[in-house]
Parts: sequence; structure tokens; C-alpha cells
Amino acid sequence: MKVTMFEQAPYRYTPEGFENNHSSVVTPPYSIVEPERMRESLFSAYAELLHAARTGFDGICVTEHSQSSYDISPNPTLLASAVACAAQAEGLDVAIGVLGRSLGKTREPLKIAEEYALLDCISGGRLIAGFPVGLSWDANLNAALPAVETRERYREHRELILKAWSQPEPFPWNGRFEKYGQVNVWPRPIQQPHPPIWIPGTGSPGTLRDILRRDYAFVYLSWDGPKLTGREVFDRYWELADELGRDRNPYRLAFLQVVAVSETDERAEKEYARHLEAHYRSGLGATPVTTLAVPGYAEPAAVEAMLRGAGHGGMLGRMKTATYKELVDTQVAIVGSPTTVADQIEEFVREFRIGNLLVMLQSGAMPRDLTEKNISLFAAEVLPRLRPIWDSEGWVNHWWPRGQGEKES
Amino acid sequence: MTTGTADVRDETVEVWNGLLRLRVKVAGDGPPLLYFHPLPGLAWQPLLDQLAQRHTVYAPEHPGTSPGDPQAIAQVQTFTELLLVYEEAIRALGLERPAAFGQSFGGMVAADLAATFPALFGRLVLAAPLGLWRDDAPIPLMEMISGAPEDTPKYLFAHPESEAARAAMALPADPELIPKAIAQSTWNVGCTTKFAWPIADHGLGRRLHRIRIPVLVLWGRRDALVPVAYAAEFGGRIAGSQVEVLDDCGHVVQADQPERTWTAISEFLGG
Repeated sequence: MKVTMFEQAPYRYTPEGFENNHSSVVTPPYSIVEPERMRESLFSAYAELLHAARTGFDGICVTEHSQSSYDISPNPTLLASAVACAAQAEGLDVAIGVLGRSLGKTREPLKIAEEYALLDCISGGRLIAGFPVGLSWDANLNAALPAVETRERYREHRELILKAWSQPEPFPWNGRFEKYGQVNVWPRPIQQPHPPIWIPGTGSPGTLRDILRRDYAFVYLSWDGPKLTGREVFDRYWELADELGRDRNPYRLAFLQVVAVSETDERAEKEYARHLEAHYRSGLGATPVTTLAVPGYAEPAAVEAMLRGAGHGGMLGRMKTATYKELVDTQVAIVGSPTTVADQIEEFVREFRIGNLLVMLQSGAMPRDLTEKNISLFAAEVLPRLRPIWDSEGWVNHWWPRGQGEKES
Repeated sequence: MTTGTADVRDETVEVWNGLLRLRVKVAGDGPPLLYFHPLPGLAWQPLLDQLAQRHTVYAPEHPGTSPGDPQAIAQVQTFTELLLVYEEAIRALGLERPAAFGQSFGGMVAADLAATFPALFGRLVLAAPLGLWRDDAPIPLMEMISGAPEDTPKYLFAHPESEAARAAMALPADPELIPKAIAQSTWNVGCTTKFAWPIADHGLGRRLHRIRIPVLVLWGRRDALVPVAYAAEFGGRIAGSQVEVLDDCGHVVQADQPERTWTAISEFLGG
């Protein structure tokens, strides 16, 4: 299987009790920030991603959020580009995942086509193109686009980007949201007709059907761990795959898991517990539930299902007061010695047929030296156990970049 | 104050080249009056019963807000199209210069219909309409819509604890029905805010001068959603309009001041 280091770029110095006074999204007050600490927070994210590439991860991955204290990544292609350039310079064969630029949020979809294409060129055909809709607070509050149009906008933008990458001649585009006279993006992706497309989602049947019909990969960025929501979402995915005549190739599925590794279980708790608690409390725990679905973002049937409690596993509402024990017991975070961590990951990966694993190894205030230890230990002692998991079944990972480019030396 | 509950019937009007089946609640007898509902959709209420004593009240449901037809909203792409849809519906209903009463979001719709089609209505009541913007009097629409539901009443009512305010915010008594009711009203807000997001300003201020019919502008002095400063804005831009500001009254005027609201509207419409 393929293992990718996923990283957000949090401000690492949110004051204690932040979640009791502030929202982590849309309105977090910038007055809490010290400029030098912002520099350090952002640079650490870059350095840690590069460290992951150097220690042997198959890919690195970033995502987009505006007006947020827990992921300062208004345009993730900036960070991804820095890593891609460094990886080329050092001859590292690492996939560059952007999950992504939000297609339902953007007012300039051709910028995404251009930026992704540029990343694919620079990395020598190693881009994973994430096509997320975008979170409601980001698309509908930060970008202030009408919620009820989010998905319509997403579909048009996706179609436009794919055409812009693959149509040889300049073409006019008369869309509902976008109008152009001559679309002719430079550069175009090395991977033709397009880089592998991964679609992050919460697992609603409509989204899963769309992904399977178009033969993209589904990325479940749950932050809930495999126990709480895995069964429901993954079973549904594979049943829909059967229904639509798609094979059960595990590489159709990617999953994000928060992980922290140390020499022993006890040491792991000692080193990581407070950082994990703070991360969940001041990040997701300080995201008001109402901002996750501004009215119109989800159809009435979906809102009703949400209110009836499907898909939450109960942990989302408790993030603000999450304790280390809760996080670990529910597997929201998998923490411990290399053996503990590898055992737990291997079990759910096999159970749910996950071929692409994203591990989040930096959380909240976790400092760079500890994060790099986490990355190094994971790469040295956990990754080798995970990599061969699907080898015996002989599947091909069609959703992994082809890397056709030459390396700079 | 008149009392009694009107018999309300549903009518469906096919408009927009057959793409929309607009649902309209109709009640009462007398000269026609159109009611344009606020952000959360149409709720039949005592004020409409009172109006139905003297008028035939036509209350259209904004596209997408009729239960069972959520995707109707996709057929209306712009605010201009929404105005055209309503103009078609009024013709399809065969109404000749009806009176119109628009509230909040519906007030913006009614005001722009009157400005765009100056011969459409005979008289116009605007209760705390959206539609204008002043930097010194921001309208916290986005804050209300994306905020905690328990905070909503403070934007809408001067007296959130009053019986009328609580009735306006009430959920079904049967807990089993609550998720569906919340899902519907949430979606309704999505359908109306499509044309009011993030700022409900489509340039109405540049068109209001076209309104030449009698207009009553009604506002609560303690309106915490659309500040009372906008009462004079509307009044000043519509020649000959009458502005009435109600003391001790919030955004939903008929909930905070039912009697004075009824008096103001009935005198204006009867005159």
C-alpha cells in the first residue's frame, strides 16, 4: 500500500482555553498571533513535510483552509510547490498530494487548473489532484458564496478544469458561473489526460456513486478514526462499488488517520497526550457545528439524516472537551509503540480494504523536534509493516501518480 | 382586532416555461393582497388570518421551499429571474394591481418587483425589508444564519420570551417530527439566502425612485437584524411613502407589536 504524510499548518501557540472564547474558523482573532511564532509555525510545516519525503514516505499531502487558526493554508499549492521543488533537487521520489484546492469555493477555477498543472510539471508527474467541494464555512462564510449553489459550482469547475487540461485547442466556456472566450492553460499536466483524482468527502451515497462512476479515488478525511464511522462509510462504498460494477481494488480508497509513535506506549502518552488533546479541543472542538453546514449546503434529506445522528459516532460534539483516553479508546488518534500502532492500523486497513493511507503526524502545538521524531519512527518501524499489505492480492494502484518526469540532479 | 382562522387552500401556478410549479396559499375574500414571506419560508399566522378578513390573501412559497420540491430552487439562477418568476405568477393568477406586503427578505422581493414593474401593484407594505446596505449600519445576516440556533431570536424579536415570538420559533410537539421540520426550515433559508448572500444588495437603492404607488414602510425601533436606520433610507428614496417606526419592537413587527402592526397595515390598506 501507499503511505502519505498529511499535514495541516496550525498556529502552534494558540493560548490555553482558546476554545472557550473563540471559534477556530472564520473569526479567530489575529491578535493572538506573534509574528515570529507564525513564521516558525509555517516553516515547521514545510520542514516536516520535507522530512517525511526524506525518510521514505510515498507521498506528502496538504489541504486548503482560509481564516482558520488550525490550518493556515489559504492556498496549499504554495507549500506543496516548495516541497516539490526541494524533492526534485534532492532526487526524492515522492508524490505531491493537494486535497486540495476547493472547487466549490474558488472564484477562479482556471487558477486551479494552472497551479495543479504546474505542480505536476515541477514534480515530474507526481501530483495527486484533490477535487474537494470545500467545507461549508470556507466556501459559504469565508468565500461568502451562496450555500445552495456550492455543489453546482463544484460540478462546473471540475468539468472546466478537466477539459482545460486535455483539450488540445483553445476553447470558449459558457458556463453558469464562469465565462471565458479562449481557455488555453499553460502549462498542462505531464500526466495526461489528468493526474490521479482523489475526491475527499464525508461519505454520502450521492458523492460515493459519483466517485465510483467516474473511477476516481475516494478519500475519507474523517478525523474520527476508523471505529466510529468506518464501518458505515466503507461498507457503503464497497457495496456501491459492487452495484456499479467496479472491482474491490483497495487503492480506490484513501483514509486519513491521526498517529503518534514513540518507543513505548507509556512514552507515547507522556510525549503526545497534551498535544493531541489541545489539537482536538482548539481545532475541531472550536469549530461551531453550525458552520459545517450553512443552510443550503446540504439537502433536506441529508440534514435530517445528520440530525437523526447518522455518521457522527458521537465524538464530533465532544471534541471541545476531548480527553486523551477518549481519543485513544475511540481510535480517533492511534498512539503508542511502533508495534501498537502498526497492529491497530493493519487491522482496520485490512478490514476496510484501504490501499492509500494518509497519516497525520503533526497535531496542534506539537513542536517540530517531536513531530520529526514521530515521522522518523513511523517511517523506520511502522511503514515497512504496512507497505506489503496488499501485495499478495496483486492489485494495481491506478490512483497513484505515474512519475514520468526526469529528476533534477 | 379581528379574530378567527381563515380557510387556507393551496394553489399551484405553472410558470417559467413549465419548469416551476409555484405553490401559493390562498385564503379570504376581497381585493387581492400578495404576501411575500421572510427568510425561513411561509408560515401561516394570525396576521394573515386578519388580512384574509378583508382581502383575498395570496402567499407564494419561494422556489425550493415547498416540501417535496427542494430542487426547484435550481431553476431560478439569479435574483432578476426570481422577479420575473413572480411577475409571471401574478399574471397567471389573473391579479389586477393587487396590494403587496413583503416582510424582511420578502420585503426586498416586493420592493424590487414594484420598482422593476411600476404598474404591477396598487399599494405596497414593506415590513423591515432587506435590500439596502450602509457601512455604518451593517446587517448581521450571515452571523444570524451561521450562528447557534439559540441565538436567532435575539436578532428577530424585542421580546424573545413573548408567546408570539415563541410560537414563531416553535418546533413540532412530536419529537419524531423535529428533524424533518428543522431540515425543511434550514433548506428554506438556503433557498432564500441564495439571493441575499452575503449581503442583500442587488442595487435596489438605485431603482426605488421608480416606485410611484402608495407605500407604507413599517419598522421596529429595536430591530437587531435590519437596523431602523434603513426605515428612513427607504422612506427617503420612495417619493410620498409613509414611514412608521414602532417603539419597543424588533424585526418581526407582528410578533412584538401585533396590535399596532395590524392598525398600521389595515389603516394603510383600507385608506
